Amino acid sequence: MTERRDISGLIKALQSPDFAVQTRAAQALGSLGPAAMDELIATLKNKHRDVLLGVIEALSVIRDPRSIEPLAGALKDENSEVRWQAAMALGEIGDDKAIGPLREALKDSNKYVRYGAAFALATLGWKPGTADERASYFIGMQEWKAVEDIGPDAIPALNHVLNDPDSAVRLKVMKILGSIRDEKAIPALMRGLADGDKDVRWEAALAAPSCGINPMHIPRGLSRRPKTAKNPVIAGVMNFLLPGLGYGYIGKWWGIMIFQIDVTATVWLFKYEGDNTTSAVLFPIYIILGIHAWYITRKMPDFV
Amino acid sequence: MSFMLFLDKRHADVQAMMTAKDIPGLIRHLNHRNPDIQWQAAEALGSLGTEAVVPLIRVLDGGHKAVRIGAIEALAKIRDLRSVRPLVHLLKHDEAVEVRWIAALALGEIGDPSAIPILFESLRSKEKYVRYGAARSLELLHWIPRDDAERAYYAIALMNWPGAKKMGKAATIPLTDILQDPDPATRLKIVELLGQIGDPDAQPACEAALRDKDAPVRWAAVVAAKKCRVLSAHIPWGLAKRPRTGQNPWAAAVLNFFFVGLGYNYLGFWWGFLVFMSYASIFTLAQLESGPFIPYVYVYPITALFAAQTFYMAKKMPDL
Repeated sequence: MTERRDISGLIKALQSPDFAVQTRAAQALGSLGPAAMDELIATLKNKHRDVLLGVIEALSVIRDPRSIEPLAGALKDENSEVRWQAAMALGEIGDDKAIGPLREALKDSNKYVRYGAAFALATLGWKPGTADERASYFIGMQEWKAVEDIGPDAIPALNHVLNDPDSAVRLKVMKILGSIRDEKAIPALMRGLADGDKDVRWEAALAAPSCGINPMHIPRGLSRRPKTAKNPVIAGVMNFLLPGLGYGYIGKWWGIMIFQIDVTATVWLFKYEGDNTTSAVLFPIYIILGIHAWYITRKMPDFV
Repeated sequence: MSFMLFLDKRHADVQAMMTAKDIPGLIRHLNHRNPDIQWQAAEALGSLGTEAVVPLIRVLDGGHKAVRIGAIEALAKIRDLRSVRPLVHLLKHDEAVEVRWIAALALGEIGDPSAIPILFESLRSKEKYVRYGAARSLELLHWIPRDDAERAYYAIALMNWPGAKKMGKAATIPLTDILQDPDPATRLKIVELLGQIGDPDAQPACEAALRDKDAPVRWAAVVAAKKCRVLSAHIPWGLAKRPRTGQNPWAAAVLNFFFVGLGYNYLGFWWGFLVFMSYASIFTLAQLESGPFIPYVYVYPITALFAAQTFYMAKKMPDL
């Protein structure tokens, strides 16, 4: 296909389930040089992840400055691998026009994208100027010690990273805020106290007093964490109305089994014993099941 | 006060209630949807002084969690000795960890030395937040540890692991005391320290850690075992007693025999429900067609096959 310059064929091959075929297709597209540019850039509108990754790889081999703008667009793709690959490609192409979009990408919520952007900026010979830029750059490079040394000026950049879905990164942020010891970190620490991850919360609790939060105010911050405990009343009512499903609601796998047994038993009882007996037998059982689900849900530990 | 950052715009209602000394109204606002208003209400109640003490103590028992926390905050600010006993009660018995934690902190703020014994007792709480709060309050009350064991309790509560290690064998009992901590990271640290200290008295604790439900803790216990004088031959034996995470093949097979699909569920495959519901529907339809009993004759030979397959599948699943 390379010899025939069959660009659309090669682009199709990017979707091959075989990884080796994918990479060879990407390399072949790259080897076609600037002639393939127009079609490759048009393909960037494609939504398929593997195609996008392959096209970006090819563009990074061709190194044509015309691809800067479309690649800067790919830095805003919804897929983080695509954003990451686009950042790396912008570094490979080596045009200073990429610096602006890459600096924006340092604030991405995904650590791979931030790392790619920082790496690309370094490849382009960019030197961070202000303290905020340095902080963003070192956060991207995952050089936490250097971030810590910047001190209070790193706090706005650290705030951005709190959106990272990786709790290990958020934990790191809390640790650094604790050692920076500055009041400007208070909103970030309050967010950390209510974090969904228990280790981040604990680190925030340790860091909070050193930034000037009154220790008496920390427990309330923690109590705003997302609720993981189930509501006993819902479990109880559900188990009364649909016996077994209340157990299912609190995560007991055998709840559905009880539900099914109840359905079968109810059907047969109705058939052979009639309405009144059935109600008389089942109603007390349902009440007991409801109370039981309510009770065990109350007893379930709520992780702090 | 840095905390004033949050109070720059005081809510109009809170301000009005504070001027009118509307204590019940302020207490109601402790449970406001907006956390900033909760804070302001607690702050306002604290500034009302001793006349708020009795109503605040009254809501400590049975109020909503946010109300209890706010009331304790306010009581800590008022520092009235009447609140010490109810706070001690909460520290011992409240079901919410945050409440026990803030109760420990408040006892330090109020500054009554009669709280020292219960605070020291709380250094042995299995919740690290409570231990941490108690340690800070003991410091505020100028408590001085009498011996290395007490110093070790204090160091552990502050998560000061090198400090605990320095106490050497005196730290063994304090460390083993909190091996019940629900946080696996803390248990891991304890087991590592026990290994480093190398006290033969730590042997039962190391053996217990071999059975921990968390895999990294078990591994740390294996590494520490020799220093804790656990016989090498006992190590695999101890490990074998850990709680099963892999499921019992027999249970999976029996479940799949009687309730096709739920055995898969038990093994952790989400689609077990789907199999089971399809099975149940087909079975019910068959019963409607041919009467209640005949389908049983056909179904059990088939489910026996499922059961056998499940049994081997469960046996092959990795464990440890």
